[in-house]
This record gives sequence, structure tokens and C-alpha cells, in this order.
Amino acid sequence: MAPTDLPATETPRFVRADGPDKVTGSGRYTADLTLTGMLTAKFRYADTAHARIVRLDVSAARAMPGVFAVMTADDVPHVRYGPFVQDRTLFARDVVRYEGEVVAAVAAINAEVAARAAAAIVVEYEPLPVVTDLEAALADGATLVHDGWADYGAADPVVRDRNDASFSSISKGDVEAGFVDADHVVSSRYVADGCHAAPIEPRAVVAQWEGNKVTIWTSTQVPFDARAGVCETLELPANRVRIIVPHLGGGFGGKCGFHYEAHVAALARAAKRPVRLVFSRHEEFYAPDRRREGMIIDVRTGVRSDGTITARQAWIAIDNGAYTADAGFFSQLAAMHVAGPYKIPNVQVDAHLVYTNLQPSGSVRAPTAPQCCWAIESHTDEVAASVGMDPVAFRRLNAVDTGEVGPSGQTFDEIGVQRCIEHAANMIGYDQTLPDDEAIGVAIGWWPSFAVPSGAYIKLDGDGSGQIITGAQECGTGAVMTLRQLAADELGMRPEDFELVYQDTSVAPYDMGATGSQTLFNNGRAVVAAAAQVAEQLKQLAAEHLEAAAADIVLAGGRASVAGSPSSSVSIVELAATAAGGELLIGHGSGPPPSAPDLVGSSCVGDLGMAAFVAPQFSCHAVRVRLDRDTGVVRVLEVAAAHDSGTIINETGALGQVEGGVMMGIGQALTEGARYDAEGHQRNTGLLEYKLQTCADAPSIRTHFVQINTPNAGPRGAKGLAEAPNVATAAAISNAIAKLVGHPVRQLPMTAERVWEALQS
Amino acid sequence: MSFVIASTLDDALSAVAAGARPVAGGSDLVVAARHGKAPLPDSIVAIDRLTELAGVTTTADGIRIGALTTHAVLMTDPAIIASCTGLADACALVGSPATRNVGTIGGNVMNSSPAMDTGAPLLALGATVELRSAAGTRVLPIADLWTGPGRTSAAADELCTAVLVPAVPDRTGSAYVRLEYRRAMEIAVVGAGAAVTLSADGTIERIAVALTAVAPTIIALDALDGIAIGNVADEDLLAGIAAIAAEQASPISDLRASDRYRRHCIGVMARRAVEAAVRRAGGEAIPVPVNRAYGIGAAR
Repeated sequence: MAPTDLPATETPRFVRADGPDKVTGSGRYTADLTLTGMLTAKFRYADTAHARIVRLDVSAARAMPGVFAVMTADDVPHVRYGPFVQDRTLFARDVVRYEGEVVAAVAAINAEVAARAAAAIVVEYEPLPVVTDLEAALADGATLVHDGWADYGAADPVVRDRNDASFSSISKGDVEAGFVDADHVVSSRYVADGCHAAPIEPRAVVAQWEGNKVTIWTSTQVPFDARAGVCETLELPANRVRIIVPHLGGGFGGKCGFHYEAHVAALARAAKRPVRLVFSRHEEFYAPDRRREGMIIDVRTGVRSDGTITARQAWIAIDNGAYTADAGFFSQLAAMHVAGPYKIPNVQVDAHLVYTNLQPSGSVRAPTAPQCCWAIESHTDEVAASVGMDPVAFRRLNAVDTGEVGPSGQTFDEIGVQRCIEHAANMIGYDQTLPDDEAIGVAIGWWPSFAVPSGAYIKLDGDGSGQIITGAQECGTGAVMTLRQLAADELGMRPEDFELVYQDTSVAPYDMGATGSQTLFNNGRAVVAAAAQVAEQLKQLAAEHLEAAAADIVLAGGRASVAGSPSSSVSIVELAATAAGGELLIGHGSGPPPSAPDLVGSSCVGDLGMAAFVAPQFSCHAVRVRLDRDTGVVRVLEVAAAHDSGTIINETGALGQVEGGVMMGIGQALTEGARYDAEGHQRNTGLLEYKLQTCADAPSIRTHFVQINTPNAGPRGAKGLAEAPNVATAAAISNAIAKLVGHPVRQLPMTAERVWEALQS
Repeated sequence: MSFVIASTLDDALSAVAAGARPVAGGSDLVVAARHGKAPLPDSIVAIDRLTELAGVTTTADGIRIGALTTHAVLMTDPAIIASCTGLADACALVGSPATRNVGTIGGNVMNSSPAMDTGAPLLALGATVELRSAAGTRVLPIADLWTGPGRTSAAADELCTAVLVPAVPDRTGSAYVRLEYRRAMEIAVVGAGAAVTLSADGTIERIAVALTAVAPTIIALDALDGIAIGNVADEDLLAGIAAIAAEQASPISDLRASDRYRRHCIGVMARRAVEAAVRRAGGEAIPVPVNRAYGIGAAR
């Protein structure tokens, strides 16, 4: 559709460009792709949590009719990889360290033959002791999950020691002196079980070689990261690997990182045919290195009788699982969240990322934050109770504010945490009288924005229609969809005048992907910069056409006009036609990312860039719950969510993010937990026994955005948003339950049975 | 593998006699196959087009529910809501709207899962099942049908054609209550169905309670009459029923709950089912499903 004279962005509700495709079923997902001669891939997993491989024989599988390729570690380059610690290989070598580790892969004529061939691979193991307990794993003499850990490569700042894959700490002030200053000291222990991202679409990968170049269609949230993984492990240059992401059926962080693209590419090369891998729901739970990490949090807080916090000391153990995916920085993130968005003068937090023989952990929506926030905000209510203060008043007294110094020594620009507390409390009706089986809980949380490089191109073709060619990845948040709005506003056009070309690493410039709530924050800046270049070209053309100065040209309503004399104008369509016969309308943008704030008066060991939060986001969630005291069943009746995510650019999308984050938080609070037996086997790898929340469980959710045009942030003063709504919900639910039970339920998820057990004590 | 679509009941009976497994909604057979729990049988006969096996009819003896009647029909059928309210409660809790629109009462009953929702209210209401084969028709009490998880006493050549619920006296109410961790796509952790008839003076004249997911099959509570008949459903009686339910249950520990928690909760479910059944018997119109109307997960 070509531009018209309609004013820009007056659409009352923002309609996503990918919405009709997804709703009508015309959109294509990776598993929908079929290529001529395509084979089916199937993995053979370890199925045991820790063992030495004493025999691996694929000869029977290779000999089966219909089998085109069988691969093991011997068939790919011996490359150890990993973003923080290079502790893993594509296929198990000598030792398997978790049950979902890939030992071998098969490509066969159809799924049945592939399954039979995978089963026909002979593997014999010598069992090794299974490490599942975080505290035991850190003890002297513990079985090492990686006995060769000292020889592995690792990113420079990573501090490692035996089963501790990444240690990080925050030290500020004098914590022991702070406890001496306190009138009360409250100690708590909280334990969070691991859980899952559980996207609707189980992952899928299709690979096809043409000559020495490979195209990989994959359900990833991070196409450039996936490309880097393929290049590293198969020893290929970036320009011979093309990653294309068809529509993505959700991710929630579960599809961040490099997963199985190299396995499928290697199979396709060996088989000389295209190969497709589609995970079952069981595999989606069982194999990927993307479980939300389990944790133990021990925390001690000193407080004066007037409610002022004087000191906080904490020890955190995070379940890394068997390999270090992107969890390397979790220890620092967890330390920040356990310190919390509070003005605490004396802080000592020590966080360990602990190897176990469980599924590797990885970034699931706001990694470490929901669990840490749940623990620390439940603890905060205990601290408030120790001095007889109301939880909201206690937070208003101790939470950070504009111009104040956070727990790691960062001084904040204008921030809205205090206003978030006020809005959430008002929306929920904090002071209302409730029936004796209902209570309201409140919690605050924070989350950083991630400032990283990102790029985009924009072109206007001869008919005046535009294309945004971006490296950004849409995982359902609507962030990529919103780029059209930014381009349209910059060029005086409408969002629907632009088509998006995205999720193709060979076409668009780099972007980090749908991770870290960074898409609009960084790629939005790139699109604005690219659009500004096109705007400049249009103004030059209009200046010549209208015989005016380029500086006086205004782009609005699909036209270029001379400021102050609107009758002197020309349509952008006409200018585009002119350009098509001469210098083409092409813009590109990236722009310098925002800088990290300074830290004063603190030190951090194992600093992986999270010691200060760039453009920090704040939130306060207030929830009203009902408890069935006979059974421990908790029902969330109402949620009020107030968020400071800076300027909100697309309110429809932003509301969707908050509502989705709240629902995910309710699941984490009440029903979602990965269950393991003593041998490290995950027992609930399906949607019947891993209980997500359903539409029928959704409470009424009210949202308020505290909008602050934030300096040193994303376009128009925007911060990130996608992860922040997932941070505080479980914590607020915990505080409501604690009011009804009389004390907190100290294990996450707070299942009906755990709540009932807490009622018995 | 063979797949036959039966166009008459006789076709279906001869296919079953020849070893075919009947499929109606497929909500057990197909789902089990897709999840790798049990492969699809080699021979299948689709009976979903035998419209004569669908629908609810009121007879002189009570209510006849055709085997192909779906949960979605049963949860809204006026005759079921009027006299078998507990069955409507159960049907309304099954799975999702999609499950309820394809899943049938015959399939649910013959699948013989100890966690089936329709079983407890049917047992409490004294239901029977009609089994037909080429050789003839027999009717047996539903309690005699279930012999273990996934096992029934039906012969290999028998097809369930109807579930029959006897007419209930005036002042009778029934209810089914289930422990659930979420409000859709849930499977019973424990559940209880009750049917109660009151005397004109409001005391209990007849009572039956059945339990879900605490034994290898749905089980009926024994020895209730002694404490219940002639008494009103006061706190003492309800507590007594809860204690009997907890005592007669033999729950297991699994991913859904520990045996200890199940044993406690089955008592809670049993007393809530009886309480709801008594209130309905007394003329109170508690909407279906009772789980949403009061008790667990009710909205206010």
C-alpha cells in the first residue's frame, strides 16, 4: 500500500503485521517447511545423568535401510564451546553429564526409521556418582561434574573453582558493622525449584546445503547467536551460514542461545540431503540447555526499629546444570536481585553458579529475577513484620528513588519505583477489608535494560512503499512489529506503509535477538537512525522540487512540505518516483549504545557487566488471592501491575507483555516446577504433569505505566519491557499467602500441597 | 493396520467381535498413542457415526444415556442437570471445551481410569451399563464393570451402548467435587461424588458416596448408612464422612500429590460433595459445576 495523506500513527489500536498470518494459519513455522528429498533427524540421548561411555557402536543403525547418516562426536570437529565457559561439545565425548545430552544423531527417510535407528545405537555406560544437591556439590571432596574444568577456556572475568562455574559478589560498606547498628536481624532461607519456558512451539530445525553454503531454518530467538554457534562448532566462516527464522511460536527465553542448528547442518552435509528435526513436547522439556535455574537463597537483613535497613548479607547457590550455557552471568544477576532495589548502606552478597548433573540452565524470561525477587520480597515482609511496619510503608521507606544510590553503588537518574508502589497499592485497593480467606500481597522488582550494538536498513522503493530490513527477531513480544511505527513517525508516513524483512542473517545487519528485552531498546534506535537518513534524502529531493531550503522541509501525512507554507508540498510517493530514476532512497542505522552508569563505593568480583543496571526498569505488583485452607489451593483473583519501563511506544503491545508476564509469574508461583528423582531424571516432561496456567485461571489484571522519558536509554526514552512483568508476581503472591498462612511458604512453586503442609506447621 | 467406519451397529459389533478397538471421540486412544503411552491398535472401528447411540432419553426406569453422548451435551442437558446433577458437575470439569466436545460417556466409562471424573457420580447414582455383542445385550452394575486401571469385565466382543441411571426419588440431590490445581486441562488429583435423598423432615434417607483417584478403580464408600441415615448433615456427620473417606481410600504418592495429602483431601472432597448434594436435595439450585459455584476455586 502506498502512502496517502492520512496523518501518521493515528491508528487507535496497533495491529501487528504478523497477526493475520498467525491467526488465520497462513503463517509458516519451521516445522511446516518441506524440501525435496528431506530426511528426518532423531537424537539418541544419554538417558542417564552421569556416566562414562565404555562402548558406542552405531554400525547396526548405519546399516539399516532408509538411514542416510549417523553421527557421533567422532564425525564433527572437536570443538569445546560455550559463551562463558567452553565446557561442552556437540555430541558427548567419553562422559555424559545429564540425561538429555546428545550422544548420537540419525537422519533417515522418515520418523519411524529414524526412531528405530536411534534405538539401534548401542551405548554402554559405567555409572558415575550423580550430583544433584547444590550444597553438597560445593563441599570439599564433592564429585566433580567436570574433572577437567581447569583446562577449559572461559571468558576473562569468570571466576571458577571446581563445581563453581561462576562466582560473583557485591561488597559495599561494612556489613558486620551494619548488623551491629541494627535493632533486629532477620534470617531466612528460600529454595526455588527449576522450571521451564514452555513455548507453544517445540523447537524445529531444517538444514539444506548448496555447495559449501548452508541455509538453516530454525526456531531460535537469536539467529546471529545461532549462526555464531554453527560457525564455531563446524568451523565455517559466517558468510557461508545463513540462518532464517520463519514465524516463531513463542520462546520466553527458552529459544535463546545456540542449540541444535549445527547437529542438523552436520547431518544434512553427511546425508547430502535436507534434514528436518522437530522436537516432541517431551524433548522440549528434556533436552535443551534452557531450564529456569533452581536456587537456594540464604539472606540476613539488619533493620533499625524505625524501619531503616542497615545491612544485608546473602549466600546464593544457583543450579547451573551440567554445562554453562548463557548462565555464566546468572551469579551476578542473582546477586543484584537479592541485594534488591533498596537503599542499603552495607551489602555483602556471594553467589555461586553450581554444576550439577541436571539439565543445563539458561536465560528464561528475566533469568534469576522471579526466584530472587520471590525470596527477597518474602524476606522483606518478614523484616517489616520484625519492626511492626506495614509492608507497603516499609518499602516506601527503604526502596531506592531518583538521585539515590542503589545496593551496588549506582546513582539513579529519574526513576519511578516509588510511584509504582503507590499506583499498584491504589489499583488493588490495598486498604480494603477482606474476607478471612483473602489477602493482598505486594512486591517490587527491577530489571536492567541491555545496551548492545544493533543494525537496520530502510529503503523506499519507486512506488513510495517502504521496507525495514532488520536483524531483529520477533518472538511474540511485538517489538519488531513496533519498528514500523518508529520508521513511520520519522518519515511522516504510516506504519502500514512499511513491510518488515527480518529474521535472516544473510540479509540484515547484526542484532542480538529476542533476548534481554533489547529489541526495541537497541534496534528501535537503529531504525530511527536509518529512517533519519532516508528523511534527509527526502528533504533534499523536496527542497529541489519546492525550491526551498532542505532544513525547512517537514515530513508529515505522507507529504514533504515547506514549514510555514503548507500549500507548498509534494507527496512522498512522487519523491520516491523521482529517486528511483537517480539516487535511491536507502538508509542504514546503528548508533552508539547507551553507556553503563558509574559505580561508587562498591566492588564486584566476577563482574560480567551487570554490576550497574543501564536504564533500570522498576515494577510493583499487588495481588489479591484466596486460600482454600482445607486443601492449600490458592487462587489469584486480581493483579495490579505498575511499571516504570520509560516511555511506552506501543501501548497495546506493552499491555500484552505485562499480562503475559503476570500469567507466567502465577504459574511459577503456584504450579510450575521441574521434578527430579535422586538419579537426576526429570519426571514431569509433559504438559499434563508440568502445569502451566490456563486462560480459565487468568485473574483480572490491571496495568499502569509510570512513563518517564529516560535519558541514556532507548528510542524516545524507552527502556526494555518484555522481562520486567515476570519479576514481581510470584513474590506478591507469596506475601499474600504468608498473610493467610501466618508465615511464608519457603519453596517455589508454592503448590497446594506445600501450602497445606505450611498450614499444618 | 485396518480402520473401518461402521455405518450400522451390527457392522460395529462384528468388527469388535473380529478384534477391532472401537473409537468414538478418540480422546483416550489417540492421545495415548501420540504420547507414546500405548500404540494405536492394529484394527480400529470408528463408531462415531452411529447416531442412534447418542443422546439422553428419559424412560420409565430413569435416564438412558447413549454411549456416544459427549461431555459437552451432558453438562448442559436439562434432564441430566435435573436428576443427575453430579454427573453434569463431572462432565463440566473434564479437560477443555475441545475435549468435552469429542469425549463420550461410553469411552470414558470403558477406559476405566481410576481418575475418570464421570465414574464417581455414576457410581453414587447407582448407574448400570448396557453392553451389546452379536450374541445379545446385558446390563451390569457400573461397579462390576471396572476391574482395574484400564481394565473392565466386558468381553472382547462387547460394545458399550448406553449408561443407564435409575430414576431418583423426590428430594434427591447429587454432586461431584474435585481437587484441582488449575481450572482447565486438569486431571483429578482426588475427587468425590455423592447422591443423597432426604426425608420430608430433612434427615438423610439414602446416601451414596464414591471416590476418584484413591484406588485402582473408582470406589464406593462402605458403612455410611450407620452414621448417616436418619441424621441431618451437620458438622459432626460431615466430619465423620470425611474420616470414613480418608480411612477407606488407599491413595498412592505420585507427581500430582503425596499419599498423605491425597488421604487428607479425599476427606475434604467427600464432605463437600455430600454437603452440596444435601443442599441440592433440599431444593437449592447450586449451578454446575459445583467446583466453581462454591468451594475450591469459586469466584466471588
